[in-house]
Amino acid sequence: MTYRERILITIQGNRADRVPFFHLWRRLQTGEAERRARNRCMGVWWQRPCFVETMPNVDIVERRGPSSGLGTTLIEYHTPVGTVTERLKKEPGVGEWKAQRSWRDVTPWAVERRIKRPEDYDVVKFMVEDTVYKADYFPIEQAKDWLGEDGVIIANLPHSPMQMLMIDWVGAPNFYIHYAKYREKVEELYRTIDRRYEEIYRIAAESPADAIIFGDNLDGVLVNPNLFQRYFMPSYEKCAQAAHEENKLLASHFDGRLDGLKDLIAKCPQDIIEAFHPPPMGDLSLWEALDLWKQKVILVGFPGSVYSLGTDAVKKYLLDLLRSIVPGDRVGIEASTENLVSDKDLLALSAIMEKAELPLSERIISEIERSIK
Amino acid sequence: MSECRFLEALRDNLVNLDFEGVKKAAEDAMNVGISPVKAITDGLAAGLTIVGEKFERKEYFLSELVVAAEVMKEGMTVIQPHIKGEGTRAKGKVVLATVQGDNHDIGKSLVATLLRVSGFEVIDLGVDVPTERIIKTVKTGRPRILGLSALLTVTMPEMGNIIRSLKATGLRENVKVIVGGSPVTKEFAEKIGADYRAADAIDGVKKCVEWVSTK
Repeated sequence: MTYRERILITIQGNRADRVPFFHLWRRLQTGEAERRARNRCMGVWWQRPCFVETMPNVDIVERRGPSSGLGTTLIEYHTPVGTVTERLKKEPGVGEWKAQRSWRDVTPWAVERRIKRPEDYDVVKFMVEDTVYKADYFPIEQAKDWLGEDGVIIANLPHSPMQMLMIDWVGAPNFYIHYAKYREKVEELYRTIDRRYEEIYRIAAESPADAIIFGDNLDGVLVNPNLFQRYFMPSYEKCAQAAHEENKLLASHFDGRLDGLKDLIAKCPQDIIEAFHPPPMGDLSLWEALDLWKQKVILVGFPGSVYSLGTDAVKKYLLDLLRSIVPGDRVGIEASTENLVSDKDLLALSAIMEKAELPLSERIISEIERSIK
Repeated sequence: MSECRFLEALRDNLVNLDFEGVKKAAEDAMNVGISPVKAITDGLAAGLTIVGEKFERKEYFLSELVVAAEVMKEGMTVIQPHIKGEGTRAKGKVVLATVQGDNHDIGKSLVATLLRVSGFEVIDLGVDVPTERIIKTVKTGRPRILGLSALLTVTMPEMGNIIRSLKATGLRENVKVIVGGSPVTKEFAEKIGADYRAADAIDGVKKCVEWVSTK
């Protein structure tokens, strides 16, 4: 079975020959350990854009230097109804490595977000309404060509509408205060984004990608059940409808603490929960998630904090994790969603996962444990 | 209206997260001569305690905690100018920082606000704070507690560096170190020699109060 087949069969909810193990393209360190890990069993999950967007009536000015503040990039959005600004901190390496990440593998950080005052909502609403989305499948087609049977290509969609406000455009904690003080403004902008996003759901659904990923860096501490049910779930339903009409699977990046949202997630239409983090970084065990979300496939983001405890701890964690989910269906393991995984840890994971035959059993896991000693 | 009713109005408007309500209740309380310190402790802070209890019962969430802290600030803005000549002694001094390389601050900022309304003097150094600056602030400010936040596993190790630096400069014995942030586990906190790992803002503030109460 190829790596691609293994991942596809699993995300479709069926049993492959082994538990699939893969790395996110944007985190892959090219080199000997990466080659050896890929030769053993590590596939690739490659998220690619499926559209381009322009704002024909918005002047965007980017400044770096004394006028923008030391070490930051100031972006000004000038519209006919007003101007908003945001400020990004870009560490060394941004634009020179993968996926806009710095040498330290950190994305540019918004130290100032574009919505700060109630009047900014009207400007950003103009920007959303002015946005033109155009399908562009070249990145997906190229990636499919290059990757071949080594992995899967996923059409990448942004954060869901309310998460776009919470994380990207307003930011917590300001969002909570705005939601309390300027509810109408927040909801009006949310509805505008939600309506416009229907276009990109269709674009993604009609793409040649293997599946779609929509949002969302979900964390149940930041997103409470009331917000989730009222604003997040309806957007997921819309995206899922578009995806399923084109026989596409829908994944979402739920990498945070999910215990408070677990019952609501069970009702969500996503086929795949990607980047699921069990404890110690998450607060919901994998076996409980599998039990609650019986119609979903869970792709586990190997917790970054475990890497900080050393390779022996990494091996133990993975073996214990596999033991907890016997027989091991509906699960895939991602090397990391956050860290640059060390060569030693990458090879340690590969040594375990290349033997993770399905159905898993205590016997198989014990044999793996003996083989890696 | 009795004093009780004015204090209840402050408390209840805060619990209900009512910005305008708390502002009016604060103005009313000051207009009738309610002690500003009492308005804070028995009105606003009492309301915040109830908010904390609702948070622990999962009736309120982080969003409500944040709004409650802002509502409290609204009330404090009205009451604070009346405090002159009546001040209270701070429970203790706390230095807070998100470690170098990390820009997350929501939890830390919330802790700062909750500590202030609990009577602490708080020095919030902000985010992406170099270790040298943290050590210097501990040396000059002599806080009882140092709070460190990290939300990225790549920045967590800096917490260990800070504790080592505190030891190297002879400062460790005089300051309690509390750490927090979603990837920061109890095991990690123990490994680096922190005194406590806060599960959330409420837990962290409780621990700080406990520390200053048991000398």
